[in-house]
Amino acid sequence: MKPLYIIGSGCISPQRTFDENYFFETVSPRVNSKLFCQEPDYTNYFDPMAVRRVSRILKFGTAAAKIALADAAVAEPDIIATGTGLGCLTDSELFLTNITKSNEGLVSPTAFIQSTHNTVSSLVALQIKSHKPNNTFSNRGFSFESAMLEALMIAAEDSDTINFLIGAYDELSDYSFDIMSRMVAFKKEAYESDNFFSEGSSGVVAGEGATYFMLSKTPSAKTYCRILGCKMIFQPENDVVFTESINAFLETNRISIDDVDVVMSGISGDSKRDKILQVVNKNLFVNQTIVAFKHLCGEYMTAAAFGVWLGVNMIKRQQIPDATIIHNRNKKPNTILVCNAYKNYYSLTLLAK
Amino acid sequence: MAAPVFIIGKGTITAIGDNTRENFDSLIQEQTGIRKIQRLDTIHQSEIPAAEVKYTNEELAAMLELNPTTTRTALLSMKAASEAYNDAGLEKVKHLRSGFISANSVGGMDKTEDFIKFFLEDRSKGKLHDVVNHDCGASSEIVAAKLGIKDVVSTISTACSSSANAIMYASRLIQNGVLDWAIAGGTDALSRFTLNGFNSLMILDKEFCRPFDDSRKGLNLGEGAGYIVLASEEVVKFLGLNPKLILSGYANANDAFHQTASSADGVGNFMAMDGALRKANLRPEEIDYINLHGTGTSNNDSSEGKAIERLFLSKIPLVSSTKSFTGHTLGGCGGIEAVYSCLAIEEETIFANLRFQHKMQDLNITPVTNTIRNKPIQHVLSNSFGFGGNCSSLIFSKID
Repeated sequence: MKPLYIIGSGCISPQRTFDENYFFETVSPRVNSKLFCQEPDYTNYFDPMAVRRVSRILKFGTAAAKIALADAAVAEPDIIATGTGLGCLTDSELFLTNITKSNEGLVSPTAFIQSTHNTVSSLVALQIKSHKPNNTFSNRGFSFESAMLEALMIAAEDSDTINFLIGAYDELSDYSFDIMSRMVAFKKEAYESDNFFSEGSSGVVAGEGATYFMLSKTPSAKTYCRILGCKMIFQPENDVVFTESINAFLETNRISIDDVDVVMSGISGDSKRDKILQVVNKNLFVNQTIVAFKHLCGEYMTAAAFGVWLGVNMIKRQQIPDATIIHNRNKKPNTILVCNAYKNYYSLTLLAK
Repeated sequence: MAAPVFIIGKGTITAIGDNTRENFDSLIQEQTGIRKIQRLDTIHQSEIPAAEVKYTNEELAAMLELNPTTTRTALLSMKAASEAYNDAGLEKVKHLRSGFISANSVGGMDKTEDFIKFFLEDRSKGKLHDVVNHDCGASSEIVAAKLGIKDVVSTISTACSSSANAIMYASRLIQNGVLDWAIAGGTDALSRFTLNGFNSLMILDKEFCRPFDDSRKGLNLGEGAGYIVLASEEVVKFLGLNPKLILSGYANANDAFHQTASSADGVGNFMAMDGALRKANLRPEEIDYINLHGTGTSNNDSSEGKAIERLFLSKIPLVSSTKSFTGHTLGGCGGIEAVYSCLAIEEETIFANLRFQHKMQDLNITPVTNTIRNKPIQHVLSNSFGFGGNCSSLIFSKID
């Protein structure tokens, strides 16, 4: 598959990433257990009526897509492909609650309509009046990666498609956090980045966010970097198998490990979950600057998209924010390998200047 | 031109049959699966008909050697996917790069809605095993693990067009050399969530649905799963097969009109069908049969019909909606109807559009009302249109 250029990006996350002047100069807030998005003024993206009408996830999902479109100065992309692990959770919960409490009585259809997983992708199409191919993947820790792979494949097979809007969104909801708390260990104490990832640290922080990219076959004045490839590895048995996958992936993309400057590691802060990623960070990436991001966006099924956004912006700005650094080996961020894991779902994304 | 992607296996379970053969038998005997709701625990049982798979979860789980707490979405998926796996003899190509590309609209909602009753009373209540597989990807993970498929597992959720998009994605993975073979399609279980959701939109027919009929009043929901096995030329050679079917064309377009309604003239529907024809390099008159999306709602059938008239002009192919048998299986329908489209070609049969009586006033389309046998068919177009304006069309073709 041929590399694509990233010519635009948009990200709404628990940090002030919607603001193009912000690049992690300050990191906020170090709350316990949950990280909710910092949201922009939505009247820049929706008419005031719509702002009141649509749910939070539709707002921050659609706004992230519109930021990416505006950033790339592309009015209509040739495809829109989105990934989401859990879809529009709050709307699903609301409709479920309404029918349960009313014992299947007369209920408003609004939450049901907005609960469909493809709502964000299709709302973007509706707003920009785009009839182009429109897809939504929902496959746990591979939701975003599946959308990216679709763009890479369509780019390879179809000469008429030039620009690809791809992205991901997931929201943290009231119910979902309470349910997850019964199964997943969350960090209870306020934390700093230096103790967040330390050995023996347990628990993750629940997060959310929406991230979109404009990929293109042709570079523009705005070009951030190239995306060389993406690979998904389900449930690698151990670090040896994962290391082999990384080496094979780099070889496929004709990149030697020494060419990789920065490793964007999807470590979650829970030592048990992070076992394989921590071993490769220690044994394989001995010359790379290692950075992390889940203390900034939290853990969720499509957090990889935030990691890719961070990497893309590091290359563009030629800057590695201090708040992200785990091991500084004084590298210029020219080639970045994003190594993510969400539970058993491992993925690799390769970015290059 | 890209290398052909062959169809070498099928599997399906619906209200009209436990497997592909039983589905075919019910189709040609014109036996609908729509009836009074019996299994789903809902207050609408006597008032709203639906097309339920006859087995309980416990029965399905025992049949499939899965835990009885497994979501119905995953159980239905497993039943149809394992049939497809065996039908294609995939055991012999286990060593090649394999994929499971599934689809559904509401994931494990059938279990979540049991969980929520207890959870709403007390947030520490409700059995966690009922909610851990809530997401759309959960059923795919369960089925792929059981079938030993590891290279690419993905799930698409674009409402009612989900499984048609899964088939497209699988085809791309093979044509781009990422995979050698893939099981692709989708699944959905009937749930109170969707039943009440469609009811709140006032698009459920209290009688048996009448797709494309002038007097139609809405859709009936159904449940089930359908998968086809897509394979590269190398796989076909390795297995020593001489397959007669290929996925020759496909397209995905967006209507960009409204979150739940289709535009009056079916712009997205037209673009999906037109795009699939272009991809297959076919002229409209070469299509022998259209397996309609044909839900039975006033809006869908009118928009779909308008788009067909615009594309096919006066040469409208034979058309029918098999949702008159299976109900609307949402995320499963593209997969189930892909199986039916393949059957139409293999068995030289056009299925009936049950209960059709009156042609729509503003359309010149009369669906097939009685099964047609011994009708050579070269190309079948299958439509799947959904909420969010997601419109997808697939073309299945016979090769010599």
